[in-house]
Amino acid sequence: MLAAKAISKRFGRNLALDGVDFCARPGEIHALVGENGAGKSTLINIFAGRLRPDDGHATLDGAALRAGSPHAALRAGIAAVYQSPMLFERMTWEENLALGGFLGEADQLHLDEVAARARALAAELSFDLPPPGTRVEDCSVTERVRLEIIRALSFDPRVLILDEPTGVLAPGELAAFLELLRRLRADGRIVVIVTHKLAEALAVADRITVLRHGRRVAERPAAETGEAELAQMMIGELAPAPPRPLYFRHTNEPVLMVEHLTAVRDGRRVLDDVSLTLGAGDIAGIVGVDGNGQTELVEVMAGVRAPIAGRTRLADRGDNGPDAQMAIVPQNRDLDGLILEMTLWENLMLAPALRRRFSRSGGWLARARAVEFCAQTLSRFRIDAAGPFAPAGALSGGNRQRLAVARALATAPKVLIAHDICRGLDLRATSEVHRMLREYAAAGGAVLLISGDLDELLILCAQLWVISRGRLTEVPPENRNAARLGLLMSGAVR
Amino acid sequence: MKAGIIAKPIAAVILAAALIALVLLALGASPFGVMGALWQGAFGTWLAFTETLVKAMPLVFCGLAVAIAFQGALWNIGADGQLIAGATLAGALGPALTHWPHLLAIPAMLAAGVAGGATWGGVAGWLRARRDVNEIISTIMLNFVAAQILSAAVHGPLMEPSRAYPKSAPIAPGAELHLYFAPSRLNLAMALAVALAAGCYLFLFRTRAGFELRALGRNRRASAFFGIPIARLTTRTLALSGALAGLGGAVQVSAITHRLYETLSPGWGYEAIAVALVARLNPLAIVATAIFFGALDNGAQAMQRAEGVSPVLVQVIQGMVIMILLAFDTSAWSGMRTVFAGAPTVPAANTPAAASDA
Repeated sequence: MLAAKAISKRFGRNLALDGVDFCARPGEIHALVGENGAGKSTLINIFAGRLRPDDGHATLDGAALRAGSPHAALRAGIAAVYQSPMLFERMTWEENLALGGFLGEADQLHLDEVAARARALAAELSFDLPPPGTRVEDCSVTERVRLEIIRALSFDPRVLILDEPTGVLAPGELAAFLELLRRLRADGRIVVIVTHKLAEALAVADRITVLRHGRRVAERPAAETGEAELAQMMIGELAPAPPRPLYFRHTNEPVLMVEHLTAVRDGRRVLDDVSLTLGAGDIAGIVGVDGNGQTELVEVMAGVRAPIAGRTRLADRGDNGPDAQMAIVPQNRDLDGLILEMTLWENLMLAPALRRRFSRSGGWLARARAVEFCAQTLSRFRIDAAGPFAPAGALSGGNRQRLAVARALATAPKVLIAHDICRGLDLRATSEVHRMLREYAAAGGAVLLISGDLDELLILCAQLWVISRGRLTEVPPENRNAARLGLLMSGAVR
Repeated sequence: MKAGIIAKPIAAVILAAALIALVLLALGASPFGVMGALWQGAFGTWLAFTETLVKAMPLVFCGLAVAIAFQGALWNIGADGQLIAGATLAGALGPALTHWPHLLAIPAMLAAGVAGGATWGGVAGWLRARRDVNEIISTIMLNFVAAQILSAAVHGPLMEPSRAYPKSAPIAPGAELHLYFAPSRLNLAMALAVALAAGCYLFLFRTRAGFELRALGRNRRASAFFGIPIARLTTRTLALSGALAGLGGAVQVSAITHRLYETLSPGWGYEAIAVALVARLNPLAIVATAIFFGALDNGAQAMQRAEGVSPVLVQVIQGMVIMILLAFDTSAWSGMRTVFAGAPTVPAANTPAAASDA
């Protein structure tokens, strides 16, 4: 039995956990649900030994876990998969997995054996592994999460803790992965799964613990509760109603034209003759399994990667150059989108248009004005932060994402390109971001959403494309059923 | 937090002093006698104090050079070579300025130092930006090149007319920086060093280029995504870094040595890395840490005279002080870590340190 007794943890002025009790029994899949900032990650970090509680203690099968020692947690049989993968960027994936449990206590490093065992496990999970010798820095987010899951399983853990693991898995992978969790349960092991997706928690978990503002508000058998009750306990008020789908297309003049983009990476054609047009007021979406060219498409449009053919064209380049007209929210906000050690106002200044706006002649920064602007942006977009001088790393995931979106919208661009904009956000934060996007489009902005979350795109997008192996296929509204889209995403049909 | 910035280094120095005392006792020397002599030699008299400033001066120039580059995660280990390049150019120019008025000769010397240092740093920057040559390697290699060029010059083309010693002809009197309060060697270059420290601070924290440089140093990928001109910034920053060190070299020739020697730099460029790191790459703090290191250098000689302890012991003291300072504050190393480990992947919000900073 994995248990927590009256655990409290404080970060500065913020009480992340306030006397939380928790208990997951052997042979049980236990879901831990709550909004961003409810304390879910803090609790599992305490179990995994990454954080030391200020008060209370954690036990496994009655034995106290040594606080603050990841090594001790691992030896006790607790393996965790984190939301932001903890991998060694500059090492290959085989080397990363060699640091898992495949080799046991062996002194010699047999990377071939590691790779073979990883492949066997991956086949069981229907996971695709990257090509041999690929460095993690060249892996997509999905590939990283898969590697983390395989590494955690390589320890043959007694307790498997998963922090939002399913957000980036493809539909086919998800089924096999959930099947594996059920097998672990049948072995009498403990699985703790942290998630925002209530439907998923209800489908896979036996028991569900709800956290709100650092307190445990309920523990329920999954069979005796439902989505509405959970949502209400999580948020503490009625959940926002899901918005109506909008298949409504503005017929305005085009603002963004992507023409025959083709890009090659490591000798592989990652973008293949990609063309699309976006009009003012449009919200358009590109859906696909991660690793099919989405990252490269965003990089090419951002000007970070050079295409071998084709171009991205804005109808109106404006007076302030193209980067003021087109704003980008990159997929990996912690690696590409924000600089966690820098302050919030400095993070806003990363946007080229804002950097220009708050520069004076002679290259001086208009610091006071920039700080003031940051304070306004924080309140306008309801970002919960100590102020413009707080480091971005001190924000919760949802607030970091809101900051990234706020920064993109603050320059009033004509086009917004957003990659996985709601990944890891809870219900309220997601609907908040969606509201921001709709308002922006209603005011004449054009939005291109690139996402693996089909539900999100079906709700928001008038135009929808599927991306598979670097090629786009447009899906008209009448063809948008799950079966058809699944086939397109898997690349089985075009 | 604010109090810690002052209190921690003081605690570190006290701890270091305690450990040094143990080492001295083991060597059979009197800790108080030795420490007293060190203090006397560094600050005991007006003259000793001014000599401490003289020793600190090149460390300020080189420390600023290192800090500017390190802020952008550009690991310039070549401040020594850049200082020598600047000094060599100034030392070669100096003797030719015989009929120049003071007001023109001094700027010419300084310009030569800037040109030499900027070239040396700029080459490493260009190699990094355009050919992806690791700047750690190129700057270290260029140190050797600069040292050997200086050596060849004072044995060859720049050797003094009598050709008796491996040193250059003296610079023209007009190119000498005036020294105040003789026999002290106080000079206006010290004021220049302090002004440059303020200038570097303003550059880093108040200008757009400085902001972009700090962003580059903390997250290269995000910097690329947001259109920071990485290649241009790399070349220019290392050229600027080199210019600061080169200026330090020219000032050294103009104010202190008045000619070139083979052993012009005792390794200031390397010591400056410690000066800059202990100052947490803050240009204003570098003035203080440079004076601290200068005092140790200066006091060492008095210590040897008074107590017969080897001045090498001062290097032991310096090493221990740096290690203890870093042990007291690991954040000084977090920048260095990125060189070896790539971008940090740990979500900072989950770590207690990040949250308590909020």
